[in-house]
Amino acid sequence: MTDVHETQPLIDVQNLHVHFPAAHRGIVKAVDGVTLRVKPGQTLGIIGESGSGKSTLGRALVGLVRPTSGHVLHQGVDPFAMRRGEFASHRRDYVTVFQDPNSALNPRMTIGASIREPLDIAGLLPRSQRDERALELLERVGLNRDYASRYPHEVSGGQKQRVNIARALASNPKLIVCDEVVAALDVSIQADILNLFLDLQRAFNLTYVFISHDLGVVSHVSDQIGVMYLGKLIECGPAEQLMRDPRHPYTQALLSAEPCAMPVAFRKKKRIILKGEIPSPMNPPKGCRFRTRCWMARDVCSTEPLLREIAPGQQAACHFADTTGLPVGAVETAAYVGAGA
Amino acid sequence: MAGLLNASAEPAERLLLDVRGLSIYFGHGPGEVCAASDLSFSIQPGELVGIVGESGCGKSATALSLLRLLPEGSSRTTGKIILDGIDLAALSESEMQKLRGRHIAMIFQEPMSALDPVFTVGHQISETIRAHFNVSRKEARERAIEALEAVGIAAPRQRYDEYSTQLSGGMRQRVLIAIALSCEPKLLIADEPTTALDVTVQAQIIDLLLDIASKRSMALMFITHDLGVVAEACTRVLTMYAGQLVEEGKVDTVLARPRHPYTSGLLRSLPRLSQPKSKLPAIPGRVPRVFDQTGCRFEERCTFRIDECARPQPIRAIDDQKARCCRIHDLHLSGAMS
Ligand SMILES: Nc1ncnc2c1ncn2[C@@H]1O[C@H](COP(=O)(O)OP(=O)(O)OP(=O)(O)O)[C@@H](O)[C@H]1O
Ligand SMILES: Nc1ncnc2c1ncn2[C@@H]1O[C@H](COP(=O)(O)OP(=O)(O)OP(=O)(O)O)[C@@H](O)[C@H]1O
Ligand code: SF4
Ligand SMILES: [Mg+2]
Ligand SMILES: [Mg+2]
Repeated sequence: MTDVHETQPLIDVQNLHVHFPAAHRGIVKAVDGVTLRVKPGQTLGIIGESGSGKSTLGRALVGLVRPTSGHVLHQGVDPFAMRRGEFASHRRDYVTVFQDPNSALNPRMTIGASIREPLDIAGLLPRSQRDERALELLERVGLNRDYASRYPHEVSGGQKQRVNIARALASNPKLIVCDEVVAALDVSIQADILNLFLDLQRAFNLTYVFISHDLGVVSHVSDQIGVMYLGKLIECGPAEQLMRDPRHPYTQALLSAEPCAMPVAFRKKKRIILKGEIPSPMNPPKGCRFRTRCWMARDVCSTEPLLREIAPGQQAACHFADTTGLPVGAVETAAYVGAGA
Repeated sequence: MAGLLNASAEPAERLLLDVRGLSIYFGHGPGEVCAASDLSFSIQPGELVGIVGESGCGKSATALSLLRLLPEGSSRTTGKIILDGIDLAALSESEMQKLRGRHIAMIFQEPMSALDPVFTVGHQISETIRAHFNVSRKEARERAIEALEAVGIAAPRQRYDEYSTQLSGGMRQRVLIAIALSCEPKLLIADEPTTALDVTVQAQIIDLLLDIASKRSMALMFITHDLGVVAEACTRVLTMYAGQLVEEGKVDTVLARPRHPYTSGLLRSLPRLSQPKSKLPAIPGRVPRVFDQTGCRFEERCTFRIDECARPQPIRAIDDQKARCCRIHDLHLSGAMS
């Protein structure tokens, strides 16, 4: 374990809340009190159910949404406390790549122009150097220079995603938030893109926040993993440790549900099938937010469990998280009241 | 419909579905493209079969052809599809309509677009039931409520009157399953039924499908690009590549020792099977856009190719596994454990 104080975190999130107004004067607490740090050169993976607030957290990390309360510090500095001009140039260091390879590319712009655009906006280099840099970036993501004159509809989905990555790299960012970047791709192309991300990380000491609902993808690329449920970070820790020994019942359910491409004799035996659906984020359960679906739930769960250290570097927010080895036998019968039974 | 049955004296192992030399074409004249060529496979009653392959390999086109749901006019098929002893080509459209639902049903890739936002979910199930059974509205309603209950929807009486837009993705998929199951088909085709869902919801849905399949001894044809899903849900798997079946075998055998380099490549690309942060062995290149290769269609992406690969590749068998590869006997390909 390296000392957390040894290097300043690139990202320091303190008690972050991002709330949105919703219908009927309701409030969606998309992110509701998240604290975490990301060290430079590392990858933080974020997993969790749809609607748990992963993308909102990702957007807050790069300053695309303003915190309702709490802070996101970039190398100790709060971007929202900056002056306007400063904020604009600072923003280029913290960028995102999204799931849909089409959404970020202008269909009427050539691929070369799309990659050059962030450089044009920054206006730091003369035109000829910007052109050259765009071509270099194309090569860096594994595409030929002659792709620069093509339009987005003339390339495949995987190639478009490469172009998006090149565009994100144009400003020499420190952090890239990757939001479901390989979700739309076939396994083989997905493998290509993941290799590219790992390559680039080594070459430029990039920091990633990797959001994905695919546990295989997240565990492959991440150093640390955070698990979200209804706006809360309910568990986090070193990737390998968290995958091997998850302590929050939700994380356990999530990992047990991952389909595993192994012959039956080699597959994990216990599957925890959760009952019910994720509750509405407008009206989350009081106390532990997972208790409506949790097989471990007891009376004490109506008070909110705090995220606390369970093992070196690993934190979980469950009253029973330090009970070594959950009563899995009991789990099966209780939790199996799921679908159809 | 009884008159259409090829009432042959069937042996004990009667096939539910028997596909012989099926080819599928889209478009006309010189612009015509082949989406599937010379597919032959069969499914037994109650069997759980997976179909895997990358995008554009022809999985959905194959599924649609089994229901005769390919766009009329802009597509054609050759070959034979025998379902429950009935030759589909011999049926009129209205006879085919009767067969859909009762014998064969399908759940589609996109749960949102497959439901009509204008009608309540209950109405959509009742209508399907009334189209196939001569029952009163009231009875159809009761059956629809039972169907909702069977797919694990709580408070089915209330849900009956809700609209699809009010439901979550997982719930919508359950409703689609309820519709598909309402006429108790013998074969259910599920085309990527869980791709858009969270893993926990996906696990619920797979569990539900398997539970119903075993209770009713309904056969399941599971189309997916996820070999993990195949491992969890199926007993036999077919790999499709560029419109052809290239491998077939028992799931556990294929995962442990694939016999076609393409299946092996798909397996090895999975991040779960590599060391964290290591380079993943991706398959180079992409599925060809036009399927007109005379030799092995996978040849240009295959790291094992030899001269003979440029010649036509028939299906070859080894034990109870089959692969369309001339090196089936001499290659030892990596599987899930190696
Ligand atoms: N701009 C917005 N206005 C109102 N509500 C929002 C907004 N953005 C997100 N939400 C809500 O906040 C919650 C969290 O959404 P978010 O997109 O962060 O989830 P997610 O974990 O990324 O989900 P998914 O896996 O489906 O992408 C959801 O209930 C969503 O509807
Ligand atoms: N209606 C159509 N008209 C013309 N071509 C079509 C049509 N439907 C499918 N095709 C073509 O047939 C081929 C097979 O398509 P199909 O949809 O069966 O692939 P798939 O294996 O289901 O892919 P995916 O995993 O992306 O769903 C593709 O090249 C596709 O472009
Ligand atoms: S036939 Fe040749 S090219 Fe095709 S999969 Fe086998 S080894 Fe590879
Ligand atoms: Mg999201
Ligand atoms: Mg398809």
